[in-house]
Amino acid sequence: MNGAEAMVKCLEAEGITKIFGIPGVAIAPFYEALYNTDKIEHILVRQEQAAGHAASGYARITRKPAVCVTSSGPGATNLITALATAYADSIPMVAITGQVKSSLLGRDVFQEADMRGATASFVKHSYLVKNADEIPTIMKEAFYIASTGRKGPVLIDIPCDVQLTELRKSFDYSKEINMRGYKPSIKGNSQQMAKVIKAINNAKRPLICAGGGVILGNGEKIVREFCEKFNIPLVHTMMGIGVLPKKHPLYFGMLGNNGKPYANRAVNNSDLLIVVGARIADRAVARPEHLEKQVNIIHIDIDTAEIGKNLGPTIPLVGDVKDVFASLLEADIKVDTAAWIEKLKEIKTTTVDSRVFSEKMVNPIELVQTLSEKMDDDAVYVADVGQNQLWSADNYIMKEGRFLTTGGMGTMGYSIPAGVGAKVADPTKQVVVVCGDGSFQMSMFELATIAVNKIPLKILVVRNQFLGLVREHQAKTYEHHYSGVQLYDFPRYDKLSEAYDMDYFYADSNETLGAELDRFLACTNAAIMVCDVDYNNYTQ
Amino acid sequence: MKGIFSVLVENRDGVLSGISALFARRGYNIESLTVGETEKRDVSSMTIVSTGDARTIDQIEKQLNKKVDVIKVRRLDENKSIAMEMLLIKVSYSATNRAALIETCSVMGAKIMHVAPKNMIIELHSDPDTVGEFIELVRSFGILEVQKTGTIAMNKN
Repeated sequence: MNGAEAMVKCLEAEGITKIFGIPGVAIAPFYEALYNTDKIEHILVRQEQAAGHAASGYARITRKPAVCVTSSGPGATNLITALATAYADSIPMVAITGQVKSSLLGRDVFQEADMRGATASFVKHSYLVKNADEIPTIMKEAFYIASTGRKGPVLIDIPCDVQLTELRKSFDYSKEINMRGYKPSIKGNSQQMAKVIKAINNAKRPLICAGGGVILGNGEKIVREFCEKFNIPLVHTMMGIGVLPKKHPLYFGMLGNNGKPYANRAVNNSDLLIVVGARIADRAVARPEHLEKQVNIIHIDIDTAEIGKNLGPTIPLVGDVKDVFASLLEADIKVDTAAWIEKLKEIKTTTVDSRVFSEKMVNPIELVQTLSEKMDDDAVYVADVGQNQLWSADNYIMKEGRFLTTGGMGTMGYSIPAGVGAKVADPTKQVVVVCGDGSFQMSMFELATIAVNKIPLKILVVRNQFLGLVREHQAKTYEHHYSGVQLYDFPRYDKLSEAYDMDYFYADSNETLGAELDRFLACTNAAIMVCDVDYNNYTQ
Repeated sequence: MKGIFSVLVENRDGVLSGISALFARRGYNIESLTVGETEKRDVSSMTIVSTGDARTIDQIEKQLNKKVDVIKVRRLDENKSIAMEMLLIKVSYSATNRAALIETCSVMGAKIMHVAPKNMIIELHSDPDTVGEFIELVRSFGILEVQKTGTIAMNKN
């Protein structure tokens, strides 16, 4: 068995059935080994960044590490943006990149790129494999690191000669992992736990702020149970969409400068903020130093370094969300929040949204609301980056489905490949991608992947012929000096749909929107729907 | 404030660059960084001296702990640890101040390693403050070259 065959065997042992990638000479031995297995299906994408985003979408739906593969040099460097995106969003992923022959490393030969160096700050951990016998250990460690603690991408860079080297030892994937430098803590410290319980009992206006970590830790259900058992209301960050459905009586919206003003008011009116799996970056809370002084903060996170980085909590608690909330559910907590919830309802109804939307064409708010209402209860909504993302996050009506987007890195072009990954991960689920015409064009080469693999993905393009969010910024900050933001009316989406065997739908008014959305969602093919919106619509 | 970290890491290639990349990316300051093998061949020890506000020093410790190749991080208290640096310094002298330079060396516990007609190479190993003071003391004689190691430190307990 050679190194490449061992790698494929490791992937099989990890239960990997789908991988995304593009081959090249430096990873050819691995592809040869892949050719000889029927347990793993390789999905050929059209650019390596899409392999990474597709793996991200796949991982988020399966809730397990996903795999992407590229060759060396430019193939590998193309992947970096996707790695950075996955790292910022803590997505479990194992990225395998081919490398030039070990004897040529460091000589700047054809298609050599120092991937470990280039990705040092974008991966949770990385390996350069020098000895084929280490492959089983490295692969096992990589999957373990990617999927435990705070999840994230792990890079395995493997020279092509190592892929071809015969293993001297017999293949063994059963060895226990023992990394002295990596022991993620799961259980919350009992003294801290006691302080948390005491603080909740002493609170009159407790509020949970759920971040993406709740979803990454598979904690939606248990956090919901906790809210319901003790009658504690909840707000969330953009990455925390989906912890509570929008209709839930304890749901009080998304906070942040792109969220609901009443959610921010809820935060400011609380006397105890329980932050769970959120890093409280600038988009969620603009001035954390003010918030620290105003309210008591419990910060629960799996990553010690996240606590105190942006927000100085009163009570830090390091642990896994499921484990911590399982203990909290059993704890002796008595808190009367009836008056507080009444107050929040009042805040919700009296906070006016002062934004005015154009009468022309499709109203983006109505678009997101109507679309999400019409979508299946358990559908997957993939939002891209730009105005479309903010309108989506703000107005999406969460039922029992998933909302995928990139909150940390804000990578345009994420939604189409991530949608491909999500649909491949669970073909039974309805998957709808929502992007702007700018973000669409950053990944439109992936229409070929959709067509060839007959992936019935729905892509909705919110078209305003501009890089809308930048235009909005230029309008407000640079006196309407629109610099480099106009996209014009290309491409011709009807022709593009035809070129890739996709169905095409179009709406340019609120009147025709509903019926056209019905047809778009009902069709069994992959489809593109364009909704024209006025470029004078803003997000804030 | 000053933070002295004693860090045990896996003795593997790429580990040092991983640590320095962490400091670079997060904008942490490195005053000195010293690496060497320990009694175990597969473990290296790093002493990293950094400065920053309390939150930054706290973050450095946490971020170091997150690295998979980092086995153990210890924050050293200056008062409860021994910290040493080693200095090699080439100082010029003349017939008139030669005796004064030799006296300064002897008072500070520095050793004269080599004497040339117009300069001498002096060695001093001591705590970082004393090494700093010594450099200032000999500055007026005329410093020709300085080679200094970073700090190595060890907890007393």
